[in-house]
Amino acid sequence: MWDIILRGAINGAMFALIAVGLNLQYGVTRILNIAHGDFLMLGAFITAFVFKFHGVNPLVSLAISGPTVFVLGVLIYGIVFRRLVRLSRSVEELEFKSLLACFSLMFIIQNVIVIVTKYYPQLQYVGTTYLNETIFIMGERLELNRIVAAVVAIIISVLLYILLRSTRAGLAVRATAQEPTGAQVVGINISRVHMISFGLSVLLSALAGSLLSMIYPNLNAVTGPHYTFIALAVIVIGGTGSFIGSLLGGFLMGYAYYVTTKTEALLAMPVVYAFLIIMLLIKPKGLFGR
Amino acid sequence: MLKGNTVNLTKILPIPLIFIVLAFAPYFLRRYHLLILQDILMWVALSISWHFFSGLTKYISLGSVAFVGTGLYFTSVYLNLSMYKGYYPILPFPVVVLLAGLITFALALVIGSVTLRLKGIYFAIATFGVGELVKGIIQWWQTTAGVSIVHLPLELGNPLFVYLSLLITTFAVLLVTTFLRRSKFGLALKMIGENEDAAAHVGVNTSLYKTLGFAISAVCMGLIGGSYAIRFYSTRVDIAFIANYSFLPAIMTMLGGVVTAYGPIIGATTLTLVSEYIRVSFASYFPIIYGSVLIIIVLFMPNGIMGMVEKLKATKLMRRKEPAKAPKMPS
Repeated sequence: MWDIILRGAINGAMFALIAVGLNLQYGVTRILNIAHGDFLMLGAFITAFVFKFHGVNPLVSLAISGPTVFVLGVLIYGIVFRRLVRLSRSVEELEFKSLLACFSLMFIIQNVIVIVTKYYPQLQYVGTTYLNETIFIMGERLELNRIVAAVVAIIISVLLYILLRSTRAGLAVRATAQEPTGAQVVGINISRVHMISFGLSVLLSALAGSLLSMIYPNLNAVTGPHYTFIALAVIVIGGTGSFIGSLLGGFLMGYAYYVTTKTEALLAMPVVYAFLIIMLLIKPKGLFGR
Repeated sequence: MLKGNTVNLTKILPIPLIFIVLAFAPYFLRRYHLLILQDILMWVALSISWHFFSGLTKYISLGSVAFVGTGLYFTSVYLNLSMYKGYYPILPFPVVVLLAGLITFALALVIGSVTLRLKGIYFAIATFGVGELVKGIIQWWQTTAGVSIVHLPLELGNPLFVYLSLLITTFAVLLVTTFLRRSKFGLALKMIGENEDAAAHVGVNTSLYKTLGFAISAVCMGLIGGSYAIRFYSTRVDIAFIANYSFLPAIMTMLGGVVTAYGPIIGATTLTLVSEYIRVSFASYFPIIYGSVLIIIVLFMPNGIMGMVEKLKATKLMRRKEPAKAPKMPS
C-alpha cells in the first residue's frame, strides 16, 4: 500500500512538472506543442551526454539542459511560430497549423537524436542511473534518485508558481493568457510574452527530462510522444490555464499510471489515452478550467 | 430536402484514361520507379480519403493511423495466420482486403460516434489519442499473444501485383469519393463544414452524416492499408501504426490546396516525389531536411499549389481587363 502511495506520488510529481509547462504555453500562446515530450527527450539527452562523457552530476546538468533548450525554444518560436501567429486569420486556423508544424518539429527532434546516437551508441538509452542506492521509507524499498527527482520537480513547479503570481513578468504572462487584446492595450508586448512562455515551457520540459533520465534507464528517442500524451491528459483533466488543476491532475495521472504499470505494464499508456479521450468527452474544459 | 449537383461527365472522363495509362505503366518502368509509383498511389489515395471527410466538414482528424494501421495490420496478420499457420481458411487477397475494410468500418463507426461530438482542436486531440489508443491496445494484445514480427507470404510481394492492387484501390477510392462529393451526401457534409447549426436547422441529420462520412473515409483508409500491407515482407505494430499516416495526409492536402478536389492529388504526388529526392540525395540527413520542408510548407503555402495557380489566373485576368477602364458614372 505504501508502495503505491509513494511511487505514485513520485510519478505524479514528474507528470505535474511536464504538464505545467505545456499548460502555461498552451494557455498563453494557444499553440498546442505536441513536440513537448520530444523537448523532454532533448533535456534527458543533454544530461546523459554530459554525464557519460564529462561525468557531470545530473542535478548540476539541470543548469545546462534547461538554458540550452530554452534558447532553442525561443529561436524556434521566433522562426516558426511568430510567422504562423501573424498569418493565421483565426484561433482555429492557428491551432490546426501549429499542430502540423509541431508534428514536423517532433519528426526533426526525434531523428536528430537517432542520428546522434548512431555516432555515440552509448547514448541510445539516455538513462544515467545516478544515485541508485536504495533507502527504506515506511518499510518500503525506494531508490534515492526517485525521491530526489520528485522533490526537485515539486520545487521547480512551486518556483514557477511564485514567478507567475508575484512578479511583474508573471503578471504580464497571466494578463496575456486571460485577455490578449487587453494586455496589448495596457502596453504589454504580447509577442515577446509568447516567445518567453514558449521558451519557459520547453525549459520546464527539458528539466523534467533531465530528472527522468536519473530514474528511467530505458528512455530513448521515440519515448517522447508518451510524455506528450501524459501531459495532454493531465491538462485535459486539470483544465487549461489552471496551475492547481495541472498539479492535481498530474498526481491523479501518476497514481493511475503506477497502478496500471504494476498490474499490466503494457496497458499503462492506453490508460493514459483513455483518460484523455474520456475527459475530453465528459468535460473538455477540465475540472478546474475557466 | 437538399438536391445534389449532377455529375459532370467531362470532368470525370479523364479518370478512366489516366487509369488505363497507369495500368500499362509497369511495362515501361524500372523496378525502382515502380516502387516510387506505389508510394505515390498510396499517399494520393490516403490524402483523398482524408480530404473527403476533413476537407469538407472541417473536422480535422488526426487519427487516420488508426484506420490505415488496422487495415494494414489485419491484412498482414490474416495472411500470415492463414498461409503459414493454417488457423484460418486461405482467402483470395482482395477478399482479405475487403474484410480489413469491413473491420475499419465498424471501428470507425464506434470512434466516430464517440469523438464527433467534439469540435475544433478537441476533436483533433481526441482522434490523435484514439490512433495511439488503438496502437497501444494492439501492441498489448500482440505481446500477450507472443507475436513480435508478422511475416508475409513472399509470393504476394511481387512489385507488379502490389502496384496493381494499389492502383485498383486508389481508383476505387477516387471514384467513390468523387461521386459522393457531388451527391446529396457530399453537399450535406460541405454544409456541415460551412455552418453546422444552419445545416441542422435546414433538416440535415448532422450527426448521422458526420459519422457516416467519417466511416466512409475510414473504410477507404483501411482498404489502402490492406493493399499496402503486401509491400513489406514483414510488419511490426510500431511500423504499421506510424504517426506519419495521420499527419502527412493533412500536410499533403495543405500543400495541394484544401479548397479543390485536385488539391490532395497534386499535394501527395509532389510531396512524395520531393521526399524521395531528399532521401536519395541526402541519405542519413533525410529526416532533418524533410522535416524542415514540412515546416516550410505549413509556413509559406497556406493556400497550397492550387491556391497559387488560382491567384496567378486571377492576376492574369486582371491584367487582361486593365485596358478597358471602369465605366464612368453618369453625372
